[in-house]
Amino acid sequence: MTHPLNHNAAQNDDVVHPEPEDDEQEDEDAEEENDDDDDVLPNLRAPPSPASKLQQQRFKVETLARRLSSEMVPIRVHDIVVNGNTKTKDWVIEAELKGIETATTMQDLMRACEAAIARLQALEIFDSCKVRLEPGPKELPNTANVVVDVVEANNTVSGECGVYTKPSTSSWTLECALKYKNLFGYGDIWDTSLAYGGSQATELSLGVYAPLIKRLLTPIVARIMLVSQDWQEFSSYKEQLLGASLGLISTKHHDLVYTLGWRTLTDPSQTSSRSIRRQLGHGLLSSLKYIFKMDRRNSPIRPTRGYAFLSTTHLGGLSPDHRSLRFLRQEFDVRLAVPFGFYNTALNLGISAGAVFPWGQGFMNKTSPLPERFYLGGDFSPVCTLGGPTTLWGFKTRGLGPTEPRRQSRNRDDDNNGDSPGWDFIGGDLAVTAFADLSFDLPIKWLREHGIHGHVFAGSGNAAKLTQHEYKHFSPRKFLESFRTSVGCGIVIPTRLFRLEGNYFHILRKDEHDRGKTGFRFSFSAPS
Amino acid sequence: MMEEESERRRRHTLVVRKPCFGLPTGCPQCLSAFIFLKLSKLPFTLDFHLNYPDSEQIPYFEAGDSVVYNNEKDGIIESLKKEEGVGDLDDGVSSLPEWIPTKVMLTTWLADALEYELWVGDDGSSAYSIYYSDLPWPIGKVLFWKKAHWVKHKHGITKDNAEVKEEEIYGRANSAYDALSMWLGDENYLFQNRSSSMDAIFLSHALVVLHALPESSMLRIKFSEHTNLVRYAQRHKTELIEAGTSPSYDPSFNSDASSSASRARSTSSSKAKSKQKSKREETKEEKTLRKRAKYFVAAQLIAVFLFVSIMSGYAGGDVEIDDDDAGYDLDD
Repeated sequence: MTHPLNHNAAQNDDVVHPEPEDDEQEDEDAEEENDDDDDVLPNLRAPPSPASKLQQQRFKVETLARRLSSEMVPIRVHDIVVNGNTKTKDWVIEAELKGIETATTMQDLMRACEAAIARLQALEIFDSCKVRLEPGPKELPNTANVVVDVVEANNTVSGECGVYTKPSTSSWTLECALKYKNLFGYGDIWDTSLAYGGSQATELSLGVYAPLIKRLLTPIVARIMLVSQDWQEFSSYKEQLLGASLGLISTKHHDLVYTLGWRTLTDPSQTSSRSIRRQLGHGLLSSLKYIFKMDRRNSPIRPTRGYAFLSTTHLGGLSPDHRSLRFLRQEFDVRLAVPFGFYNTALNLGISAGAVFPWGQGFMNKTSPLPERFYLGGDFSPVCTLGGPTTLWGFKTRGLGPTEPRRQSRNRDDDNNGDSPGWDFIGGDLAVTAFADLSFDLPIKWLREHGIHGHVFAGSGNAAKLTQHEYKHFSPRKFLESFRTSVGCGIVIPTRLFRLEGNYFHILRKDEHDRGKTGFRFSFSAPS
Repeated sequence: MMEEESERRRRHTLVVRKPCFGLPTGCPQCLSAFIFLKLSKLPFTLDFHLNYPDSEQIPYFEAGDSVVYNNEKDGIIESLKKEEGVGDLDDGVSSLPEWIPTKVMLTTWLADALEYELWVGDDGSSAYSIYYSDLPWPIGKVLFWKKAHWVKHKHGITKDNAEVKEEEIYGRANSAYDALSMWLGDENYLFQNRSSSMDAIFLSHALVVLHALPESSMLRIKFSEHTNLVRYAQRHKTELIEAGTSPSYDPSFNSDASSSASRARSTSSSKAKSKQKSKREETKEEKTLRKRAKYFVAAQLIAVFLFVSIMSGYAGGDVEIDDDDAGYDLDD
């Protein structure tokens, strides 16, 4: 463990100067306590020359450094002063300075200051943050004042653009956002974003991120959004959601989000199958979604060691109106990465399962909401996609599961799409997927250096309908026997942001209407 | 035979809006399709689509994997005529000279009047019960306001001309009721004493007006003044709807237990039909009355023609008025 002052000195040469220059790096200016330093410093009566002044300062710092490296230097924080905030509320900054008040040694104090600077910079509302230590009152020995100097961002408006992955819809989205920072001085960040993705998904949203509201433990994240998704090609319906979401808890392992929205399903083509047709219309979504995630793998892009667990519980119908969409959806996802110790070989295993069913009066006769069902398939690698049963190598988006014939019209030619299957994928109430992936380094050094490796894999999955008395016809044996299976091999090119795979799939088993094909395909996946 | 009928019933499903006010469905368009199928004596199952009040596709008819939507071609009734097992109920009557004027009257004056009454004239409770009561409150309210605004816009109703427009709409409806009352007399059906799609359309209008609108509704009051029209509606309601199982909120609701409607003279033993029998003997006076009624209908139709061509107040008139109607035959 490096010495804090040496660490700072290594980062920034200006840390030893009494008047530190402006510096974007972590900058900490420590001055010696008053009474201890008098014993070692020469008592200069005449005004010192610049050279001797510099020598004095250096001597002071070296002395302090020796003391810090050899012993715990006791200190007490007398006062914390915040300068430079004209708009930002004092308590917003003070809330990020935890640990400083309670520091009892110089070492603890410096570590707490480093952490405070990092938290303040993470708010994204300051151009620079500096923490200075100044001697406390002379009558109180061994005390220091902590002075926090912040420079609020001049430019409060910023833009961002990025590409994200959405495993739940098996698609990528391009998102552009405009952010306005610190509108009310609470460290709040407002953003307007427009996203466009696969399946003609578009989302227009307005959100706010408030890192601290008094007495609340976690940041508040709220969004108002208008989302539209086109599933016409796969399931003959389009989905629109106008609503708001509120992030109640957001920590490393726990996420709790409340969503209230008006959802509309339409079918402009008027070709949908019976069960899709009957679900078209309006619905009120009032739901709570809780995600527990624990990812102890060494890498989300190429895990070679560790385990991960994800549990998602989605409860809909949280409103006094019994006519809102009432459902309970539960997903589990377990991953395990086992290293073999040679050629960086690792075996990744994963199993995911999920179920959804309606609740409320007469739930035995009701059907689960269409968008909440499980749709399997998509060009995402299950190795780095942690999010319930969604993908299976070799099958297209919504490419496997229960199907229903679309509307047959006697008058139309029905030749809109030459290879149109004429079947709607209606999703399943129960879904299970599993995979095994053996990854290994390739013999070429250049490829090894860039992390490019090979893998062989096998995947399997199935989905079944259970609602509306279909569970009477369900048997575990039949469900297992109808599992779709695929195997393959390929090259993986992991980058910092995503995982590119070039794979050859061979479908071992599929159903008549599944959309899966043996062959070669590329896929881009981002960790989730 | 029973199994065959049961199988055909399962294969044919009419999907409508919710049942209410003692009717198999409260929506006039859905009810007209229901009555049409009942008059056609096709066994079918009734199913309900409750959460899509603003859909133009409802009512729709499912026959196996094929579907007939209301917003395709000329509407669901015209499409059902071509459906296997249904047949053209209007064969032989649709060429009558009075056919098109009656159709125009039913599908414009009376349809607009009922639309106005449901969403603008009334307090909206009837429309809310029929279309929005199965949706969560905020969504139902927003859709109701949207539809009410659309209806006002369609009829050109503003704050300044609201009363004038209301008088106009009620006036036309009343004229239509007068004409139809004269035309119908004591007959069972509108044309040649046999059922037709016009009966289905008029009956659905009449039943919704009588049962879904509140007693204070102006349209209901005006309709109730014509006793033969009320009798006509109640008689057919008894035959077509109440004779079978009572309407219930049941996805497998099937109300075709009785199919006593027939195109020929009725031989049913019900009281209503015995009354019809006794009134079937036309007297000279009744014949004269019918003739006069035809003159009256002709005058109304000329007024409709003038209104449509000069005023151009309608947005969705699909019916074309033939110039040939100006010289239609007034013979019996």
